[in-house]
Amino acid sequence: MTSTTTQSGTPRPPGASGRPAALLQRVSQHGVLWPVLALVVLLLACGLKSPGFLEVVVRDGNLYGQLIDLLRNSATPLLLALGMCLVIATGGIDLSVGAVMAISLAVSLTYLDGAADPTSPATVVTAVLLGLALGVVIGAFNGFVVTALGIQPFIATMILMVAGRGIAMLITQGQITTVTSAPFKSLGSGFVLGVPMPVVIAAVVFVVLVLLVRRTALGMFLESIGVNGEASRLAGVKARSTTWTVYVLAGVLAALAGIVYGAPTMAADANNIGLLKELDAIMVVVLGGTRLDGGRFHLGGLVVGALLLSTLERAVIIFELPSQTTPLFKAVVLIAVCVAASPYLRSRLRTPRPRARVAKPVEVAA
Amino acid sequence: MSDTPPRAGDAVVRMTGITITFPGVKALDGVDLVLRRGEVHALMGENGAGKSTLIKALTGVNRVDHGGIAVEGRELRFTDPSQAQAAGISTVYQEVNLCTNLTVAENVMLGHEVRRGPFIDWRATRREARRYLQRLNLDIDPRSQLSAHSIAVQQLCAIARALVVDTKVLVLDEPTSSLDKAEVAELFRVVRQLRDSGVAILFVSHFLDQVYELSDRMTVLRNGRFVGEFKTAQLPRRELISHMIGRSGEALAGIGEHARTSITRHSPRETPLLTGIGIGRRGGVEPFDISLYPGEIVGFAGLLGSGRTEAVRLLTGADRPDEGALEIQGSPVRLATPLAALRRHIALSTEDRKKEGIIGDLTVRENMALALQASRGTWRRIPKRELDEIVQKYLVALNINPPNPNALIRNLSGGNQQKVLLARWLATSPRLLVLDEPTRGIDIGAKTEIQRLVAELAADGMSVVFISSELEEVLRLSQRIVIMRDRHKIDEIANDGSLSTDDVLETIANTGVKAS
Amino acid sequence: MSTRISPPAPAGAPVKQRTDGVRGLVDRVDRRFLPVVGTVLTLVVMLGVGQQRYSTSRVDFISMRMFSNLLLDNSYLLVLAVGMTFVVLTGGIDLSVGAVVALVGLVTAKLFTAGAPMPVVLVLGVLIGTLCGLLIGVMVQVFDIQPFIASLAVMFLARGLANVVSTSSLAIDDPGFSALASWSIKFGEGREMWRINASMLTALGVLLVAFYVLHYTRFGRTVYGLGAGDRGTAVALMGLQPDRTRVWVYVISGTCAGIAGILFALYTKSGFNLTGIGMELDAIAAVVIGGTLLSGGAGFVLGTGAGVLVYGLIQVLIAREGLDSWWTRVFIGAVLLAFVVLQRVIAVRRR
Repeated sequence: MTSTTTQSGTPRPPGASGRPAALLQRVSQHGVLWPVLALVVLLLACGLKSPGFLEVVVRDGNLYGQLIDLLRNSATPLLLALGMCLVIATGGIDLSVGAVMAISLAVSLTYLDGAADPTSPATVVTAVLLGLALGVVIGAFNGFVVTALGIQPFIATMILMVAGRGIAMLITQGQITTVTSAPFKSLGSGFVLGVPMPVVIAAVVFVVLVLLVRRTALGMFLESIGVNGEASRLAGVKARSTTWTVYVLAGVLAALAGIVYGAPTMAADANNIGLLKELDAIMVVVLGGTRLDGGRFHLGGLVVGALLLSTLERAVIIFELPSQTTPLFKAVVLIAVCVAASPYLRSRLRTPRPRARVAKPVEVAA
Repeated sequence: MSDTPPRAGDAVVRMTGITITFPGVKALDGVDLVLRRGEVHALMGENGAGKSTLIKALTGVNRVDHGGIAVEGRELRFTDPSQAQAAGISTVYQEVNLCTNLTVAENVMLGHEVRRGPFIDWRATRREARRYLQRLNLDIDPRSQLSAHSIAVQQLCAIARALVVDTKVLVLDEPTSSLDKAEVAELFRVVRQLRDSGVAILFVSHFLDQVYELSDRMTVLRNGRFVGEFKTAQLPRRELISHMIGRSGEALAGIGEHARTSITRHSPRETPLLTGIGIGRRGGVEPFDISLYPGEIVGFAGLLGSGRTEAVRLLTGADRPDEGALEIQGSPVRLATPLAALRRHIALSTEDRKKEGIIGDLTVRENMALALQASRGTWRRIPKRELDEIVQKYLVALNINPPNPNALIRNLSGGNQQKVLLARWLATSPRLLVLDEPTRGIDIGAKTEIQRLVAELAADGMSVVFISSELEEVLRLSQRIVIMRDRHKIDEIANDGSLSTDDVLETIANTGVKAS
Repeated sequence: MSTRISPPAPAGAPVKQRTDGVRGLVDRVDRRFLPVVGTVLTLVVMLGVGQQRYSTSRVDFISMRMFSNLLLDNSYLLVLAVGMTFVVLTGGIDLSVGAVVALVGLVTAKLFTAGAPMPVVLVLGVLIGTLCGLLIGVMVQVFDIQPFIASLAVMFLARGLANVVSTSSLAIDDPGFSALASWSIKFGEGREMWRINASMLTALGVLLVAFYVLHYTRFGRTVYGLGAGDRGTAVALMGLQPDRTRVWVYVISGTCAGIAGILFALYTKSGFNLTGIGMELDAIAAVVIGGTLLSGGAGFVLGTGAGVLVYGLIQVLIAREGLDSWWTRVFIGAVLLAFVVLQRVIAVRRR
């Protein structure tokens, strides 16, 4: 994580390297500090409460354990948040990702359902590609509405957030399509070299995306568009097509997340797959230290955010609280992190502000 | 209010020794301003002279570090605009500060609306609004939405609002910049009417004709300092301009010699690098011709709003011309986007550094790399080593302070931001570099360095367009001077060394607008 | 993007503008009302289609009965959308309302089981909404957190609290409440019969109060001014109260969500923790279809009323057509797209 944030060219105060004080300052100013602390505290608390929590065992050459489950559960929010983060960097938002999850899974499973041999690798690959292609189409639609029609990202992507589930239902004919296909199922529950498949997929996507964003100029362009669109255009940045690209990326990643998320159950429940996941994704982005109004983004922070989210969910169970209370704790964490990062509190902490000045003009001399 | 009846000529507002410091810049340094009842007072000065800072101090937007503001003899200290309003100071901004999505009546009357019980009595409110509007001879439907009206009408509505709140001082900040002649005449009629009713008026405009037509007295600022207060009738136009731009250029005297000697004048080659034939844009600049040659610096002279910025934006893909054609080395081109221009090695450094130049939250390094990277495309990232070299080269060559490529550009001073932007464009190795006000609002040292650099670049064969409000600077650097006024190119003068600021001033100040 | 819109006046034209003539009136008034006109037209077209297809020789589709049922089924949504209109007019958003409806419903049910008297329960229920709104308002105004995130946090909070209260559906069998729920005034006879009940009256009351507040008070005009797109600068320079107003709109939206929670409880005679998932989107959609710009500053609360009717009619028509219910969402998405494109076209035209 640290390596990626450094890669992202995080500004350093002069002479930061080597000086512990400066390093401390740099760390404390980083937006991801509070989420990391929260994550560590949560993990330790869980470990203390339930000693088996931190254990990882190898069975049949595969890794098992609560920590591994945690990683597995982080995969979907991470995939969604990666796309969301890039969109947010340009000053936009994508509310449709939850619906896209439902649609892509519906398409994949419906195709498998109709296929002669749902277990053949070729069929499975086609099914997955179909799902991803749909993500591209939807992302392109979102991008079109945002960049070409000039409609606010919120409302532009809300259209598919509303309609998307209806479309998914149309695809599945309102049924919960269930298929049996071991290769497809393994996308969600299989292992690669002992590591759960979703974790591998999320990790690969993460690395590819970090490389894509930071080894090319894409990341810099996204940030510059998010910070100052007009100045970027005047500097020659193709703001429109770049923005369009990230909506497509977000669509594809959401489609992939839908497949990975739905593969273990093999059931395309269009009403519930990915329900409210867009909000989780946005929360992960915010927890990861990226501001919602665009500009600087930190892909590394997303890993922290996603882990924090799933640890939170797990911690509720470990502390034997009803699992339905999870949103409550999400709210607490979200409010705490946002308030801690708010300019108001920071300025309060830095200088004991003088009391608000007198509201009326002061007559110095009559 | 006071025992003796107020008379015309009494001082209503007395600002003394106003000093305002922004981080790193002293925006105003001991400036005085006196506004009198029944007088139109013009505040004059070029960009960066401190006019808007002074206005903001008067209207409570900026806080004053030193000095006092007395309104009718009482020392007041404003901490927000509503207090200045309460003291009777109303402002009509260039960008009208009303809610354009509300109706005319609402904008005029909001805060003073007529009520009947718990309801706003719109009928009565509209009637009141109409009464105030009619005092300004403005016969518009108070129910219509403000945004449906021209800026001129919106401005008059703002003035009507000022009448409602019983204004003693009316500040008009560039009210005429987007008005046509008839609208200006109407505005002036209203302003005179208000003046005659005893309101003190502060008028800011870059149109000299209008200032001379309307004002009784003027205060001139230059570089944040007070130059003097003059009676309009006793100050010839040429003298005013020289006050505004500091003709003698004391501050730059020593530097000037250096810059002049370092210029090797190139004789223009046969084929120009870029030719514009009859290019123009509605609402921007009237069609004009221009030829730019390698190794030559062409200066654009003209006051703010004369169309100089609009003209160069058409040459560089920033705006698309409505008419006319561009040629690069004789072959026609279309520069539809800044990127297209950049790919042909044409670069524009914009006038508005903050809004159209820097990417505030990115580092110096990234800001330098942006244009070069954009010209290479998204996928071929500039290799780290190459970029390091470029960044290091310009950090040293342009003497950027702090020499830290990872500092956020928004934390740099204006001059250093400007140097980073210069580096951004130089990194793309342009053949034509257009610099719009590259030296505005930056300190003398940085200014000199930029001037020297520009001279060197031209000496190396680059074609440079240089725009500045400081005539001295333009004269010192350029071999040819394009003179703009009222969105027209009115003249083009060869600067053979014998040209003096007076000659240029003469052309600019010369009255009699050319018919379009 | 600058929000100021001003076609340059023709050179030499006098500043005076002619106010007479129908054309001038259309030119001036139309622009602001155009989106609402679009909504009403849509409504008319849908009613026409309904009348054409579903009228029988004995019963017209367009009837008081149809309108009364429409309002009956959507009274809670109307109240939510009215509250949302306030927030959206300032350029904000409130995602929490659906979760607040669930929380209020459950708390109401729980309080009734605990034997609390009805007036207390109703007031407490509404106050819960008010508190949630206040929380968002404070986060937005004082801590400068974007409305999206602030209301998202409160959405999680309300949903979590609802789950704490109960994870199963709680029936409300308080006799007073049941009486309130089933109380209605009947008009007409037989197939023509239609009724007005407490929910409908409340929803219409809220709509009227909102209309009064937005159009006949200084506060209401400040709400519009806040949406002018300059973070309330103009409003502040005009000497109004942008800060206080911004908190108030969230309080209003929260209160409306509280009322809607009660209405929904009346409608279903129960409280359930999974109620209202996505209801905030329905409300936002109704507001947008009603002609209010999501960027703030333009729109009418009566338009929101029409938006809710369009929203309800889509469901009615799809049910009558015998299409599966998921078509509803697709249609609503399509209508939404059509409306935002329409608004965009109007906005571009104006410039």
